[in-house]
Amino acid sequence: MNTVTPEVMPDARQLPSIKASRIAGLALFGVLGCAAVIGPDLVGHDPATQSLLDARQGPSAEHLLGTDHLGRDMAARLLSGARLSMGLALLSILSAGVPGALLGVLAARSGGWTDRLLTAFADAVLALPGLLLVLMLAAISPGSWWALYVGISLTLWVEYFRYTRQRARVVFAAPQVEASRMLGLGPWLILRRHLIPEIGPGLLTIAAFGAATAVTAVAALGFVSVGIRPPQAEWGVMMTELLPY
Amino acid sequence: MNTITKELMTTTVAVSELCVHVGSTQLMGPVSFAVAPGETLVVMGETGAGKSLIAQAILGTLPEQLHSSGVIEVNGERVDNVAAHIRAASWGRQIAALPQEPWRALSPLKRSARHVRETYRYVAQHADPESSCARVFEALGLVGAEERLPSELSGGMAQRVAFAAATAGGAPILLADEPTKGLDNDRRARVVELLSEVPRQGGTLIAITHEVAVARALGGKLIVLKDGQVVEQGDTLSILAAPGHAYTQELIAADPSSWPQTASATPGKVLLEACELSVVRAGQNLIEGLNLSLRQGERVALLGPSGVGKTSLLDTLAGLHAPARGSVKRADGLGPRAVQKLYQDPPTAFAQHVSLDVSLRDAARLNDTPWSELEDLLSRLAVPLSLLARRPDAVSGGELQRVALARALSARPSVLLADEPTSRLDPITQARTLEMLAQIADARRLGVVLVTHDAHIAERWAHRCVSLS
Repeated sequence: MNTVTPEVMPDARQLPSIKASRIAGLALFGVLGCAAVIGPDLVGHDPATQSLLDARQGPSAEHLLGTDHLGRDMAARLLSGARLSMGLALLSILSAGVPGALLGVLAARSGGWTDRLLTAFADAVLALPGLLLVLMLAAISPGSWWALYVGISLTLWVEYFRYTRQRARVVFAAPQVEASRMLGLGPWLILRRHLIPEIGPGLLTIAAFGAATAVTAVAALGFVSVGIRPPQAEWGVMMTELLPY
Repeated sequence: MNTITKELMTTTVAVSELCVHVGSTQLMGPVSFAVAPGETLVVMGETGAGKSLIAQAILGTLPEQLHSSGVIEVNGERVDNVAAHIRAASWGRQIAALPQEPWRALSPLKRSARHVRETYRYVAQHADPESSCARVFEALGLVGAEERLPSELSGGMAQRVAFAAATAGGAPILLADEPTKGLDNDRRARVVELLSEVPRQGGTLIAITHEVAVARALGGKLIVLKDGQVVEQGDTLSILAAPGHAYTQELIAADPSSWPQTASATPGKVLLEACELSVVRAGQNLIEGLNLSLRQGERVALLGPSGVGKTSLLDTLAGLHAPARGSVKRADGLGPRAVQKLYQDPPTAFAQHVSLDVSLRDAARLNDTPWSELEDLLSRLAVPLSLLARRPDAVSGGELQRVALARALSARPSVLLADEPTSRLDPITQARTLEMLAQIADARRLGVVLVTHDAHIAERWAHRCVSLS
């Protein structure tokens, strides 16, 4: 270690490239988000309105992506499917991520029996194939949006829990936290200063993958006619419907 | 034999006008030296002076963004213009490197004998690596440690295993980078003895150290580096006896053995009292029946080799670890924040992802210490306020330890427990940091417990010394 900290010059060449990738990512996400939120209204067609005379048309100025076998506008159906899938994905990230992370912190902080019980429960959920659990819940209440949502959240929270617990145990045992406690920092400040900056980026990564898993799960269940039902425009349902053509 | 070959045969490592640059900035040099078989070269200077760059340039392991100029010859052959993968062929065979903190250089999953056996088998291509390995383990006093994992070895043993692994290839040149870093006096002496065997058996030793005692014990030739510049070069013992340059004098004066003796204190009332204290951690009986009292304005050193339980004892005194038997009593009126701790590795004592400013302001706010008081304190500790905008990993160890001291003082403690606060700092910084700690402790009449493995520090810095063994 030096006696005097050398002035660190930021590397001018590296900064723009980081920014560029960040901007590119945010732009893509923005386009997807806009498409899902305002897309269906922009298209100007109702995704469920049938018009048998216009069935199975190719792309045209009237129907940007053509129509399906019942004459429904494909662009409208695709975008409203995106709205459904992304909405469900975002909701399940929240309902899986928030309790998962909080329980992880709780397990790491309290240790002992609380930790053992929570870990055992998480492991038990992990032992069940996720899709099977969702399938079971969906079968209890077929076509219900809620069953899907609860099922997906129940399978996804384990990842957040395990990741948070693991990292939080390390952070809580570190001298930095001991020093802060001795100085009188309360639990909330310790979370904010020590834990959240440490695990935040990791949780965001899990959330991104979790969202993808949720979208796939909804589509997969729709495809096997367990999840969302026709005439609701949903990607999996659309695939099954259009498979013969 | 003509004169040129003769000259080539008499030097094993010859370096002339060696400089190391990053981009167009010169980090180190120019350095020139030549060492022959049976000779020792010691490179001394504080960390960051560019000592390790010399070793890396000779080995050919400079980081990619750095490049060297000048001529480097190893065993009479110019190597500085040879491609790295060709130079790699000489590693272990002609030139070996003993890494810093070897317990980190050993593979955590390989048993110690395997590290050494593999060098014999693959580098030296011995016909019988098993027996060569057994011989060297016996010679180094490592019998019984063959099947242990590096995590089960003590620091000194790990150092010897790394030494055996590095030298098993039969390389006549050994580069040792801070070979005694983090070792206590006893083990340091043993490592120095091990290293001085190398020139005695006709090898060449290039040792990099910041410890005056190690340089003195190794002897040979000496190069003193400061900020990448050679400030003094010549015979080790005569330079150390009569240093010409102010920096060398400072370096020698910073060695704990030449510190002035602290005047005795006039201790006030008792702050902490340990009665018949026993400390157990991880099922191990570390300390038994210890009686210790700490008074106002008193500096007590806890001295003992690594692994004796110094840190656990400190945690028990701080109330962070429950004693197995006995008790630790705090004087009446000492609140939970009246005892503060300083840590061995300052970067790990701060929240990693927030600036120092945030950490300090939290501490000041929660303890009702006005920010201006903390600013005064920092300037007395010679910490520039501009540093506070940085994260802990972007500040040097010495400065960070002083920031940690300021942070601890913001809680207005009566007792400061310091867990080897300077063992990772270089000697000049160490001397300066401990001096400031002493000044502040005296001014505020703090009771300080300093854990150290350096007997000189314990003896000269503290008023009272408690040896644990």
